[in-house]
Amino acid sequence: MLRKKTCIAMLLAGGQGSRLGILTKNVAKPAVPYGGKYRIIDFPLSNCTNSGIDTVGVLTQYQPLELNAYIGSGAPWDLDISNGGVFVLPPYQKGKSGEWYRGTANAIYQNMAFIEQYHPDYVLILSGDHIYKMDYNAMLDYHISHGADATIAVREVPWEEASRFGIMNTDPDGTIVEFEEKPQNPKSNKASMGVYIFTWEKLRHYLTEDEADKNSSNDFGKNIIPNMLRDKQVLVAYDFNGYWKDVGTIESLWEANMDLIDNPMPMNMHDKNWRIYSKNPGMPPHYISEGAVVTDTLITEGCEVYGKVNHSVLFAGVVVEEGADIEYSVIMPGSIIKRGAIVRRSIVAENATVGAGSIIGEDSGNIAVIGQGVTLPAGVSVPSGTQVDESYTF
Amino acid sequence: MKDVMGIIYTGENDARLRELTIIRAIAALPVAGRFRVIDFLVSSMVNGGMKNIGVIMQKNYHSLMDHLGSGKEWDLHGKTNGLHILPPFLTRENVGLYPGVLDGLRSNTDYLNRSKQELVVLSNSNIIYNAHFKDMIAFYENTGADITLMYTKDPSMKRDEFGTYISLDQDGNVKDIEVEPTHPNYDNTFMQVCLMKREFLKELVDKAVAHGLHDLARDLLLKLVQEKQAKVNAFEYTGVCWNIDSVQSYFKFNMDILKPEIRKKLFIDELPVFTKVRDEMPAFYSAESHSVNSLVADGCQIEGKIENSVLFRGVRVAPNAHVKNCIIMQDGQVQEGAYIENCILDKQTVIKKNTKLIGPEAYPIVIAKNVVI
Repeated sequence: MLRKKTCIAMLLAGGQGSRLGILTKNVAKPAVPYGGKYRIIDFPLSNCTNSGIDTVGVLTQYQPLELNAYIGSGAPWDLDISNGGVFVLPPYQKGKSGEWYRGTANAIYQNMAFIEQYHPDYVLILSGDHIYKMDYNAMLDYHISHGADATIAVREVPWEEASRFGIMNTDPDGTIVEFEEKPQNPKSNKASMGVYIFTWEKLRHYLTEDEADKNSSNDFGKNIIPNMLRDKQVLVAYDFNGYWKDVGTIESLWEANMDLIDNPMPMNMHDKNWRIYSKNPGMPPHYISEGAVVTDTLITEGCEVYGKVNHSVLFAGVVVEEGADIEYSVIMPGSIIKRGAIVRRSIVAENATVGAGSIIGEDSGNIAVIGQGVTLPAGVSVPSGTQVDESYTF
Repeated sequence: MKDVMGIIYTGENDARLRELTIIRAIAALPVAGRFRVIDFLVSSMVNGGMKNIGVIMQKNYHSLMDHLGSGKEWDLHGKTNGLHILPPFLTRENVGLYPGVLDGLRSNTDYLNRSKQELVVLSNSNIIYNAHFKDMIAFYENTGADITLMYTKDPSMKRDEFGTYISLDQDGNVKDIEVEPTHPNYDNTFMQVCLMKREFLKELVDKAVAHGLHDLARDLLLKLVQEKQAKVNAFEYTGVCWNIDSVQSYFKFNMDILKPEIRKKLFIDELPVFTKVRDEMPAFYSAESHSVNSLVADGCQIEGKIENSVLFRGVRVAPNAHVKNCIIMQDGQVQEGAYIENCILDKQTVIKKNTKLIGPEAYPIVIAKNVVI
C-alpha cells in the first residue's frame, strides 16, 4: 500500500507541439533540447524536485520514445525513490476498451486510479511546454491559506498581447471572478500559465462531471475552470512574475535560447539553491582550439571548436570545424558543422551534419531549421525560414 | 567470459605532489577539467565488465570516499556486487597507514573471501590510462600464467629513483624486477597492475604478511620470480598512459590532453570515462573574451583571455584577466587585470585584481585550496 502524499504533480507532456515543425517530427515537445544541455521537461521536473514534490506523473502520448528514455527512472531529478518518484503514464486499455487522451482534462480523468493511489489532498497540474523556475510549494501554501478549490498561476502580459491568452479577471484580493479565453477586449492582463493546483476532491468531482458531457472538449481552460466558476467554487489567481517563456514555436524556442546569452541573463541559471537538473551526457570538457574564435556564446561538454562561433548555443558533443562560421544559432547535441559552412539564425537539431561550405539561414528573417539526423551535402544553401528534413531536395 | 573483480590500492607516496595531495589521495586528484585520477581506472574496469570493485583506502581518504559514493556514476551501485569502499581498520597494529599493499590486502581478507569472482585485477591508483583489460585477461589465460603483470614501453613513464621496471625473457616471462632504482636498467615500466586468481592472491597475501613482507613488487613478486615459485609473465599495454607522481607530471598530463590527437586516444567513444555530475550551466564566453587551445568545463564564465589552459567547473575569469598555461580547479576566480602563467590553482582559490603570478615552466606554482592571493 502506498503512503499518502499531500500533493502530487501531473505533467501533461502528450501534445505534438506542431508549431515546432520538424523539430517535433520524431520527438515530443517536452523532450526538445534547450539551453545547451537541457530538455524542456527539465524545468517543470526540477521545479518539482526543488519544491519538495516527489511524485510526478508524466502523461505522454505523441512520439514518446525519446521522452520516455530520457526520463528513465527519474534519477537525474532525484525522482528514483522507493515511495513516489516519476512515472511515465501513456494511454492504456481499461477492461475491453481504451482510448487516446482526448483533451487535458480527459488525460487526467483517465489517470484517476494513479492519483488515487496516493490519496493526495492536492494535485498540481503542469505542462511540459514552458521554461521557467517556480516554487510550487509557495503556490500550494497560497492555495491552502486562501481556502481555495483551485489556484491558477497567472502572469501579467503586455496589454497589446492579452487577447492571445486565457485571461483571468480578478478581485483585488486575487479571487477569480471571470475567465475569458482570448478575449477581444481584455478586462485584465493576467494570463493563465497553465499551472493549476486543485483540491483533489473538487477536481475529481468536476472531471467526472465533465467526462459525462458529450459536448465537452475535456479541456481545463475551456471546460473545467469555467464550470467551477459557474458553480461559484473558490478560484484564486497566484501571481508569478519571474521569467517565463512558452517555447511552442520555432521562433520562441530560438529566442529562449538567445535569452541565455543576454547580459544580465533574464533567468538566473547559476542559482545553486534552485538548480535545473538534467541527464548529463558525461563527456569530457569542451575544447577551444588554437585558431578558434568564440564570443558571446554558451558551450557545454564534449564540444570541439576549431572555427568561429558568435552569439550562439552549442550543445554536447558538437563539432565546429576549421573555417566554419556560426552566429545567432542553436546547434543541438552531436551535430557537426563542417569546414567553411556559414550558419546564421538557425536551429540545427540533434545529430545533423551541415556540409562543408554550406550556407544555412540568413542574417535576418525567420529561423532556418535543419532536422534531426539530417546530413546536408556540401555547398548547399538553405534560405531563412526553411525547414530541412530528410525528404528535402536541393 | 571469465568473472573478474578489481581491487584498487590508494594512498601511495605523494610528497612530490606538494600541496595538491595534502588534503586528498592521488586517486582523488582533480584532472582533465572534470575528472579525478581514479575515474579512468574505475571506468576501465567497468568497461571491461568488472562489477565488483574494492578500493582500499588509507591516510587522507575522505575526498576519495566522497567522490566515489555509492558507485552510482559507474553503475556500481546495484544489489549484486558493486563498489566496495575499504577504509583502513584502526587497531593497535593499523594506524590508518599501510606499510605496503600486502598489508592493505591482508586487512581486507574478509572482502577477498566474500567475493565470488575467479580472477582479480589488482592495481595502484596513480597511473592514468584507458584500457578494458580484456586483452590482458585473454593473454593470461592463453599463456597459462600464475600472474600477469601489465607494463609499458613508453619512455615518458621512466624516472630515476622512482617506479618499478621489469626485464623479460623471449617468452614474455619476467626475469628480473627493479624497484626504485637510481637509474632504471630496463625499458619496461611496470604499470602497477597485475592479474591472477583470487584464491592465489589470498594465499600469497597470507604467507607474505606472515613473513613480514609489505611491498608487492619488491618483496613478493621478485621473490616468486627469482625462486621460480610461480609463472609470472607480462602483458604490454600499448596505449597512452601517464604516471601522476609529481607536480610536473600532473601538469604535463593536463597540458598533453590539450592536443586533440592525444585526447582522442584517452577519451574513446566505446570506452567512456565516468565521473560525478554537478548540474552546471554550459560555459559562457563573453563578447570581449578571447580563448585559445583550452579545455573548459561547464559552469565557467570567461570574460578575459585564456590560452593553453585547463579550467574545471565553475571557474570565473574576469574582464582583462589573462590566464596562460594554467590549470584552475573548481570555482577558482581570476579577477580583473590579473595575470597568471604556469600555475596550478586548487579549488576555490582567488587571484585578486591586477595580481601577477608567473611560475617557471619547469616548476609550476601550486596554490592550495581556498587560498586568496
